[in-house]
Amino acid sequence: MGLFLNTVLNGVSEGMVFAAIALGLVLVNRATGIVNFSQGAMGMMTTFVAYSLLSGGIGYWPAFVVALAAGFFLGAAVELIFIRPLQGKSPLNPVIVTIGLLVVLEGIAGSIWGVTSRGFPPAFSQRGLRIGSTRVAFSTFDLFIVAAVIVLMAVMIAVFRWTDVGLRMRGAAFSPEVARLLGVRVGRMFTLGWALAATAGALAGLLAAPISSFGPYYMDLNLVYGFTAAVLGGLLSPVGALVGGLVTGLCISLVGGYLGGNLEPLGALALLLAVLMARPQGLFGSAKARRI
Amino acid sequence: MTRAPSPVPVAESAIRPDGDRRDGGHLLRLPEQPLLRHLVLMVFGAGLLYLLTQSLSAYNNFQVGEIGAFAIALAGLSVLTGQNGQISLGHGALMAIGAYTVALLMVHTHLNLVVELAIATLVTTAVGVVVGVPAARLGGAYLAGVTLLLALTVPLLAAQYGSIFGGEQGLTTTPPSAPGTINPERWLAWIQLAAALVVMVLLGNLVRSRFGRAFRAVRDDDVAASLAGIHVTRTKVLAFSVSAGCAGLGGALLVLSTGVVNTGEFPLTLSIELLAGMVIGGAGTLVGAWWGAIALVYVPQWSTSLSSRLSLGTTVAAYLADALFGAALIVVILAAPSGIQGSLRRLAHGIAAATTGRASPPNPPAALARLLRSADVPGGTRSSSDASTRSRDRSPDQVATKE
Amino acid sequence: MLQVDGLSVRYGAVEALQGVSFQARDGEVTAVLGANGAGKTTLLRALSGLVRCRAGSATLDGTGLIGRQPEAIVRMGVAHVPEGRGVIPELTVEENLRLGALVRLRRSERRDAIDGIYDVFAPLRARRRRPASSLSGGERQMLAIGRAIVAKPTLLLLDEPSLGLAPTVVAHTMELLRTLSGRDGLSIVLVEQNVRSALSVASWALVLNLGRIVVADRPERVNEDADLRRHFLGF
Repeated sequence: MGLFLNTVLNGVSEGMVFAAIALGLVLVNRATGIVNFSQGAMGMMTTFVAYSLLSGGIGYWPAFVVALAAGFFLGAAVELIFIRPLQGKSPLNPVIVTIGLLVVLEGIAGSIWGVTSRGFPPAFSQRGLRIGSTRVAFSTFDLFIVAAVIVLMAVMIAVFRWTDVGLRMRGAAFSPEVARLLGVRVGRMFTLGWALAATAGALAGLLAAPISSFGPYYMDLNLVYGFTAAVLGGLLSPVGALVGGLVTGLCISLVGGYLGGNLEPLGALALLLAVLMARPQGLFGSAKARRI
Repeated sequence: MTRAPSPVPVAESAIRPDGDRRDGGHLLRLPEQPLLRHLVLMVFGAGLLYLLTQSLSAYNNFQVGEIGAFAIALAGLSVLTGQNGQISLGHGALMAIGAYTVALLMVHTHLNLVVELAIATLVTTAVGVVVGVPAARLGGAYLAGVTLLLALTVPLLAAQYGSIFGGEQGLTTTPPSAPGTINPERWLAWIQLAAALVVMVLLGNLVRSRFGRAFRAVRDDDVAASLAGIHVTRTKVLAFSVSAGCAGLGGALLVLSTGVVNTGEFPLTLSIELLAGMVIGGAGTLVGAWWGAIALVYVPQWSTSLSSRLSLGTTVAAYLADALFGAALIVVILAAPSGIQGSLRRLAHGIAAATTGRASPPNPPAALARLLRSADVPGGTRSSSDASTRSRDRSPDQVATKE
Repeated sequence: MLQVDGLSVRYGAVEALQGVSFQARDGEVTAVLGANGAGKTTLLRALSGLVRCRAGSATLDGTGLIGRQPEAIVRMGVAHVPEGRGVIPELTVEENLRLGALVRLRRSERRDAIDGIYDVFAPLRARRRRPASSLSGGERQMLAIGRAIVAKPTLLLLDEPSLGLAPTVVAHTMELLRTLSGRDGLSIVLVEQNVRSALSVASWALVLNLGRIVVADRPERVNEDADLRRHFLGF
């Protein structure tokens, strides 16, 4: 029972990290209709920025904020430099470019900071909390992960639903030409979508670093699990991304806890294939929304 | 952006996987019938490669054989992406499956090599079906995510079941014994190159057949294709499983060269390098697969010697090749999306037009438009976002033509 | 007032518009008629900046339109209801209207403007929180026109509003256009295949053929000219 509880709790905090990545994938998919394979690597880069600041003696929270801001600008830059020139042509080309970007960013990080993994400090204590007399595998930092990702999702929903800029972004994403005819600067909205996605990726990177082996490649697995989460959630819905993240996290945590860590990707693959067979539109997608 | 009135392409596609029949000025006129034509090209290629292997050293033969093995995997990937519009990030893992299958057969059975290679191909084709059926329900780019997961799964599975797959030590394979006095490296290269030529002929015919037309129809507009009576899911699964089978055969042949298959032999980066090799060579073209295979064999070697000459340090050296392939992906897609083969073909057309004059198109703007259209996508696939059929037309800065 | 002079548009080798000149006065409906491929839609798309012009000019109350981005042209008071109405089906009725009001109205003015649209189109008020995809054809038409006029434009470009609508709804729409131009002094450029309906509200009619204006006259005259109707309008 103790193992089960701890496995589930572990799955929740990991799942929230996947959800953060999935939220970024959803933002990019909504804005420009492509899957961004460099989502994880961009978060890795910004987390290294935070790491450098921390090594230089700057406090955690300033470094945290700088990393998020760096993510915002990195996302905007990537959209303007690499994605914009390819818009309106084959949807495969920008996707291939994001795959190239993934490798290049990892190469850059590896040559600057080395490829050995290292420790990254958590925002709060990683000591398990005490429930009654037993200590469970759920720390203050895990609580912070859960809270941060829920806040991220809530902010995303609120921005889309209630703000003017959110309405512009949705209009631009659903019908670019009609949005232009209503005066929306569509290109700017796409850039903003990428910038916000990369900010979410930066948050995911900061949350994942203390619980993964932090190095140039630590986001690879997180990216594929985040992708699984996003597909499970239907690729367009923030709530779907969060639930997809939780389901993925629980699945791989249970597989890892009971069958062995090497089988975690297989568990995610099986989950993904099973969901696609049963509900191709994802757990939260509507059939119509899935025109990619 | 094209707004083709008939979105279902017929045989006259922008893609001509085996050279362009229209360029007239050749001395040698090849037969029109695809199978015959491909067989002629195969015999010609076989003669050329025979002369090449005779003149090369053992080590160079070894590398030429590896090129043949990679060309098979890349040709399959090229058909998948260039002809059917799907991306795979799992071809390295599929190569691993082919390699492990052939190694297991060698360890446990004493079958003929050809039978072993055929079984390895079939096993990976079957894996292609298992992964391809659910993945076909997503858009072409999303296959990449599913197969990326496969790429991470396979090495860990081999590690998990170490008693079967040999863990980090891996399994060793026995190289085929050469008859008579033939140099073993040369014999191996012949096997690998012969397999590659056979695969090229088969794929060349496939893309010219009604299946190939269905691949392209689905790539260009899956809604229109299904309205035209094409079973979209089945077509995508067929393309992916054929492509997976090629990767399996390529992996099985590659392991004959390396002599060992283990968990480190087929990492995620191999899948990305394969994608890069395919894009560099030119997606959708079979000749491009050979350019890509040459890059896959020689670029890591060059980058190692480059980084030692520049004394970049071991960490940089180890990842320079990966970074080069990643950078190549970006640069090629942005600057020359039809890859080496597409650029060569355009160059050849330009030279032909300049020298003979008669090849110059009667209607320059239309020809230019065709050229630009074929440059849209790797391998000259056509763009397909048509606002009237697609709800998500994303071309804010592009002027769509109407009326 | 819209003043168009020598407007030309080319797609590749195709001359879609060749030196089109006309005026669309305030408070009037100007009907643009012609067969498929005559250049009607291209004309509207050129005016709202969606296609680039090769030559010519267009001014709205003295300010040039050509060469500007669509986003800027909207801000000058041009509203374009594209072919197929351009309702964004994933957004709710209210969100569609908000998007229409966003760029030209101040935050404080938007609520009243949207309520004003609901007063004109009562069925929309009841469905304000529904996605636009759930609307009937007639209701979508209301939403498309409502979204176009919510920000009080000075020029309204309409591309085949009658397409796919029942005759009574078409008649209703034309009545509405008459009101909008007559009462509010709006200048309306109405592209139509439905010649009779268009001529019934228009004060001036243009007939386009292969990118040129072949007739510019009063609607009664166009209606009476049997040759013209047979040649260019197909009835």
